[in-house]
Amino acid sequence: MSALASLGSLLRSVMDFAPPLLLAAQGGVLSERSGVVNIGLEGLMRFGAFFALLGAWATGSAWAGIGCGAAAGAAGALLHGWLSIRWRADQVVSGVALNLLSVGLVTFLLEAAFHTVGTSPAVTPLPPLRVDSIDAVPLLGPIVSGHTALTWAALATPFALHFVLYRTTTGLRIRAAGENPRAVATLGVSVAALRYGCVAGSGVLAGLGGATLSLAVLDHFDNQMPAGQGFLALAAMVFGKWQPLGALGAALFFAGAVALEESLQSSFPQLLDAVPKGFFLALPYMLALLLLAGFVGRAAPPAADGVPYDPEGR
Amino acid sequence: MADARTLAGEGWRRALLDPKRFPIVIPVLAVVIALAAGFFAILATGKDPISGYAELALGGFGSRAALGETAIKAGVLLLTGLSVLVAFRAGLFNIGAEGQFIVGAITAAAAGHAFGGLPKIVALPLVLALVMIAGAVWGLLPAWLKVRRGVHEVISTILLNWIATYLVESWLVTGPLAARAVGAEPGTVSIAGTAEVGHGARLPRFVPQSRLDLGIFLALGTAALVWWLLARTAWGLEIRATGASPRAARAAGIPTGRRAFEAMGLAGALAGLSGALLILGTEFRYPGVFRTGYGFDGIAIALVGGLHPAGAAAAAIFFGAVRAGSMRLQLLGIHRSFADILQGLAVLVVAGHFALQALLLRLRGPDRPPAHAVPTAAPNPGGAS
Repeated sequence: MSALASLGSLLRSVMDFAPPLLLAAQGGVLSERSGVVNIGLEGLMRFGAFFALLGAWATGSAWAGIGCGAAAGAAGALLHGWLSIRWRADQVVSGVALNLLSVGLVTFLLEAAFHTVGTSPAVTPLPPLRVDSIDAVPLLGPIVSGHTALTWAALATPFALHFVLYRTTTGLRIRAAGENPRAVATLGVSVAALRYGCVAGSGVLAGLGGATLSLAVLDHFDNQMPAGQGFLALAAMVFGKWQPLGALGAALFFAGAVALEESLQSSFPQLLDAVPKGFFLALPYMLALLLLAGFVGRAAPPAADGVPYDPEGR
Repeated sequence: MADARTLAGEGWRRALLDPKRFPIVIPVLAVVIALAAGFFAILATGKDPISGYAELALGGFGSRAALGETAIKAGVLLLTGLSVLVAFRAGLFNIGAEGQFIVGAITAAAAGHAFGGLPKIVALPLVLALVMIAGAVWGLLPAWLKVRRGVHEVISTILLNWIATYLVESWLVTGPLAARAVGAEPGTVSIAGTAEVGHGARLPRFVPQSRLDLGIFLALGTAALVWWLLARTAWGLEIRATGASPRAARAAGIPTGRRAFEAMGLAGALAGLSGALLILGTEFRYPGVFRTGYGFDGIAIALVGGLHPAGAAAAAIFFGAVRAGSMRLQLLGIHRSFADILQGLAVLVVAGHFALQALLLRLRGPDRPPAHAVPTAAPNPGGAS
């Protein structure tokens, strides 16, 4: 295999691995820019992955399944939002509760629906998109062809979110709600409404990320899902300095580390003897930690991130 | 302040729900609500919830063997719960108990194999000491990152969990520490996991036909020690002051950074010890496939236990029994993940306890939680960074 072709297959793997992570990381950015910490991304992805599969299985339509996954993510996120915004719950505790609940609840439902705690039956996944004329292009064709519409939507999401956050009035208000909510309230804009919207949006994105796992990457739900991808999305959000495009870069980088590990395993197994697999797997987390510690440049969360807004406080 | 309505009818109810006066009420309500929700969950799947809960109780407390299983699980849960609790009291949210647990477990497996040939009186204390040191180091990392580099411990401990998981499971257990068949070619792995822990390093068992071991007694003793440290020593007062208000504590001359280090070191040691209990008591090696989650369970134990060591012990015994009993639930076709659901629901209720208070007090007028009701009598480390 030529070097160029290996690079091509590597890029193709990145496009396979990145979307779930990418979507969830954008969800994290959206929620935290409005001032609500969302540790529950892992649980929301799990809900999204399971209910997407369940929806697709019940209706026979992958797109209906995707809708169910997004709705399940939004529902879970709204529970978290209701507790943190309306009842000023500790947002980390509430997010952890969501993660804990998702582990048991989804296993329980999987068993109730399919009488298994391993993998669900397979369904018809999202159809891959192919254009014959692009397929024919050497190198480029194999990279961009055969992905689902969800992959392309995932890749477009950071740009859309960037536009909303930095080029629209609503975006300015969202960012202000995360930095100085009192200033937003002074303008007569509801901080709670902004935050509810963003938390629900983060649930939709994380739910879609989960749905990507069960209906685009694979064609079934696996009880291991999302296997830490929600936590990795949090790391991508931090690594991307709480910015949509930064999180995109981080998610692509993390997906690249996984893709590299997989391609090395198949083409240079002897290298994995020298550098154990565990190091590749731990690499994204170590890099995020180094970044946070200021060794790779400083990153700071929004000033009011995680602080409940009390309209009558000082 | 106290209007006519409060004085007339709501006073006692409000007082009862005030975590400062009756810290036990919210946790008990959380468990009751979780059990009630679980009742309907079983009903919804077409099974019989009454015999379900009967099986759960039998499996948790119904026999000598059941009690032993409950005790084993309770000991492990209590120690990770104490880990989260100690950090929480110092104002730090230790989501990293999971990673510290894994580091403790692999240390127990390695040291237990290396020193397991020594007499128990030497081997066991030695291995446990090494385990606590390793756990403490993994706990001190986020403390250092927080105090010196300003990294929020919630993010750093989540990252450190995965670093520990991958380095241990995809490197140490399959590489340098993997068990090898005796006399076989080097590199042939006979059993998935690490080499067996020697008999000298195993926790002693006391009761025939039961796996009951020293673990629960170690854990309960540790809980008493933690209570004494926090409630009865000047150091504990300074820890709690650091957690309640770091600025006020600093103004009073308390070295808050140092207290944060010490609290996280202790938290890491406790979670590490928990991992050791599982390895030295029942597993006897770090298995090839080790799905733990005990560190995350510790968060539930600490919160549902009202952040008090005695409460944590009660929560650990309750959830330990639920976990042991859930094996019997399988007889009725109810999956044992039911235990996780109960635990998650209970934490959700504790997180939303303001909503619960409002619901029970039937608050009318301005929709605000009572101003004097402070979350679970403890600091709010997940909040402002």
